[in-house]
Amino acid sequence: MPASLPPDHLKIFSDLNASVWRVLVAEGQFVAAGETLLLLESMKMEIPVTAPEAGTIGAILVAEEAVVNEGDPLVVMLKSAG
Amino acid sequence: MNWQPELDELRRREALAQALGGAEKVARQHQAGRLDVRARILHLLDRGSFHEIGAIAGKARYDDNNDLLSFIPSNCVMGRGSVDGRPVVVVGDDFTVRGGSADATIREKPLLAERMASEFRLPILRIIEGSGGGGSVKTIETTGRANLPGGVGSALGFYYATANMALVPVVALGLGSVAGLGAAKLAASHYSVMTKSSAMFVAGPPVVARLGQTLGKQELGGWQIQTRSGAVDDAVETEEEAFARARRFLSYLPSSVFEVPLVMACADDPARRDEALMEAIPRDPRKVYKMRPIIETLVDHGSFFETGMFFGRPIITGLARLHGRPVAVMAGDPYHYGGSWTAEACQKIVRLVDLAEVFHLPVVHLVDCPGFMIGLEAEKTATIRHGVRAMAAINQCSVPWCSVILRNAFGVAGAIHQPAGRLSLRYAWPSARWGSLPLEGGIEAAYRAELDAAPDPEARRGEIETRLNKLRSPFRTAESFWVEEIIDPRDTRRLLCEFADLAGPLLTPGPTHFAIRP
Repeated sequence: MPASLPPDHLKIFSDLNASVWRVLVAEGQFVAAGETLLLLESMKMEIPVTAPEAGTIGAILVAEEAVVNEGDPLVVMLKSAG
Repeated sequence: MNWQPELDELRRREALAQALGGAEKVARQHQAGRLDVRARILHLLDRGSFHEIGAIAGKARYDDNNDLLSFIPSNCVMGRGSVDGRPVVVVGDDFTVRGGSADATIREKPLLAERMASEFRLPILRIIEGSGGGGSVKTIETTGRANLPGGVGSALGFYYATANMALVPVVALGLGSVAGLGAAKLAASHYSVMTKSSAMFVAGPPVVARLGQTLGKQELGGWQIQTRSGAVDDAVETEEEAFARARRFLSYLPSSVFEVPLVMACADDPARRDEALMEAIPRDPRKVYKMRPIIETLVDHGSFFETGMFFGRPIITGLARLHGRPVAVMAGDPYHYGGSWTAEACQKIVRLVDLAEVFHLPVVHLVDCPGFMIGLEAEKTATIRHGVRAMAAINQCSVPWCSVILRNAFGVAGAIHQPAGRLSLRYAWPSARWGSLPLEGGIEAAYRAELDAAPDPEARRGEIETRLNKLRSPFRTAESFWVEEIIDPRDTRRLLCEFADLAGPLLTPGPTHFAIRP
């Protein structure tokens, strides 16, 4: 768990071991709650990773084709005010 | 003269027991955001139903006249009560007396609770905090000797900790820090729930520090650790939510294995058709979909009670009702490894199927299983051995079973979508696909020579795939009666409710031929 993340930041973690298939957003982009940020690939399936709430993409921590493990951070978001 | 003086003395002692470990200790418990054991019991049971046993058992001090000077109750509060009008046994640790540990325990109290559950065939609810009446090092000094765990006279508690699971519903609530014997009592249950501020571990941070691991309680055994490891089924924010979940779990089960589950009135139309099911499964096999809304719409409205959401996630398990009849539900979750059965998913299946068998719950399986999980990690976690264990549990169970194949059924894991050797009901949606092996990768293996000889192997692979895809339509399988029925997804609820009604009279009360293990 990230101890030092500011309260208005949100880190999104991988739920599973997978490879990064497509990154669909760019840093600085505004996303709505539920919007798909990237697609992971596991067992030949595309697994969407979605924004838990609205905000701006702060940093994308993985590149396409990267291998991620369960619990790895994928994206840092800045939550929308209010 | 009547017996009023004695009754007064009894009431005085009972009042002393109400004070638990004293005002200061109780205040500290409350300040930490936790209810005391008596409040917990009152919240957990039906209002006014608690009948306490052994309230005045504890440690007393007397003056020179042999009059009572002071009294500290045992740190186990137990008795009978009811949940939704059905009798239960409840047993709770009192953390305000010596942190719930053994040096303030009267061993026979928690034991009596377990025996009563066993012999009167009543569900037991364990409220656990601290070491659950287990030893602390201080016991050596207070008793002047060290315990042999399981030594003469002490083994019975360990016996009942697991033996009751074969007879009556055992529900355990971890509220606070739970360690040692407490952790064992929490895990040795059909359903366990902890609050998110609680922690559970074999041994706590000070002991673990001696291994060189400097960890806080939450880091060592918080809910994120324990619900993912499968040691605890669920975590909730508040103690009230934990009580609600414990009560709800019991509502699906009979009071003991000698009864069958209660049928409830059902306000939901058993023939209800949900149009959304027509497009629930994406046509593109690489695209995932959400299984939980499908479960929710198929079962009686609001009746799905999911258990173990964070463990073995390729499989969703829980209890639900169909036409008012309790059933066990398992369903593949394509979001997690496409629904492939990992070692943990297999353990989760065993837990659900064994629970269903012990308490006579028909099983509904919504199948989406591309096979066992593959790869190095899968081999290292003994997926195949846990897989054949799941196979054994499914094949050994005798409760009525109904499978609906929503999408994938591949390989050995796909084969055990229902018990072998007896008749189950089975339906396939038009989106169903199956085979010994998925085409992807399977083609390379089976058509190696042909692909190697082709001038353009990739083009040839595509041709073969198109050819095989056409041939493996579920209609061709139904044509040769490998699958009994392909159904309109919107008819699924009606058919599942019919299954539950057919299953009802088949449920046979009594103990299983094996004793369930935690």
